[in-house]
Amino acid sequence: MEDTLRIQEVLMNAIFEVFEKMFFVFLEPVDEDVKYDMIASINFTGPVSGEIDVMLTSDLANSMVQNMLGVGEGGVTRKLIEDCVKESVNMVGGNFLQKYDSSKVFDLSIPVFKDESAVFTKTDAIENTWNLSFESSEGLLGVKMSFS
Amino acid sequence: MSFNVLIVDDSGSMRAIIKKIITISGFQMDQCLEAENGREAMEVLSKSWIDIIISDINMPEVNGLEFLDQLRKSETLKEIPVIMITTEGSSERMQEAFDRGAKGFIKKPFLPEDIKKILFQVIGVSENGGYIEDSGSVDECDF
Repeated sequence: MEDTLRIQEVLMNAIFEVFEKMFFVFLEPVDEDVKYDMIASINFTGPVSGEIDVMLTSDLANSMVQNMLGVGEGGVTRKLIEDCVKESVNMVGGNFLQKYDSSKVFDLSIPVFKDESAVFTKTDAIENTWNLSFESSEGLLGVKMSFS
Repeated sequence: MSFNVLIVDDSGSMRAIIKKIITISGFQMDQCLEAENGREAMEVLSKSWIDIIISDINMPEVNGLEFLDQLRKSETLKEIPVIMITTEGSSERMQEAFDRGAKGFIKKPFLPEDIKKILFQVIGVSENGGYIEDSGSVDECDF
C-alpha cells in the first residue's frame, strides 16, 4: 500500500513538472471523469515494465502547442498537436522512471498517438494501475499507468 | 563567429522549441538544420558543415546512441560536439552517451536557460563572446 502511494506521488510529481515546465499548464488533481479527444501511449521496459497513457481534450492539446511554441491559434497544426501530445507522454514516462529509480536503466518505446474519443474514469483502477485525473484552465487531462 | 547547428529529434514541436530557444539565447547561430533521426542526420552531415549537434536519444530508425557510434567512426565528423537531449535520465544511460562521445546532456523537461548554459559550455565560448579554456564534457544541468 505504501509503495502504491509512493508510486502515485512520484507519478504526480513527474506529471506536474512536465506540464508546468514544458507547456506552462498548471494542473489540479480532481476526481472527475475525463471525456478526452486524443490519447498518446508509451511502453517502458527495465526492472519494471509497463505502459503510460495520456488522455487529453482538444482544448488542452491546443493550449499546450500554443504555450510551448509561442504561436497563436492559427499556428497550431494537426501535426504539431500530435508531436506535442506524444512528447508529453514521452517526458512523463522518462521523468517518472528517473524519479522512481535513477540508478536503473529503462527503455522507452516510441510514443504512439491516436485520435480517440472516450471517457476515462478514475474508479476503473485495479492492482498495479494508477489512474489520475487533472483539471487546468485549458482543459482536462487523464493519466493511466500500469505495471505489467 | 557564428555556428551551424543541427537539431536531431523525431518530434517537430521539440525541434521547433529548441531552435527558438537557441535563436533567442544570444548564441551566435548561422544556420539551423534539422533531422528526424540519426539516419537523416548523417545525410545532412554529408552535405553541410555543422559545428554542434543537439540530439534526442529515443528516435525511430537510427536512435541517438547509434548516431553517436556512426559519428565516432567518421574521421571528419567525430570531433563535432554532440549534446544529448532526452527524457532518459539514468546515470548509467548518461554515462553510456558520454562513453560514445557525447559532450553534454540535458534532460527533458528543460528550461530555456538549461539549453543556453550547456550550449555555451560545450562550444567553449562564454555568453559575452570570450573563450572558455577547457569545456570538456558537461554533465546535465542542475534541475
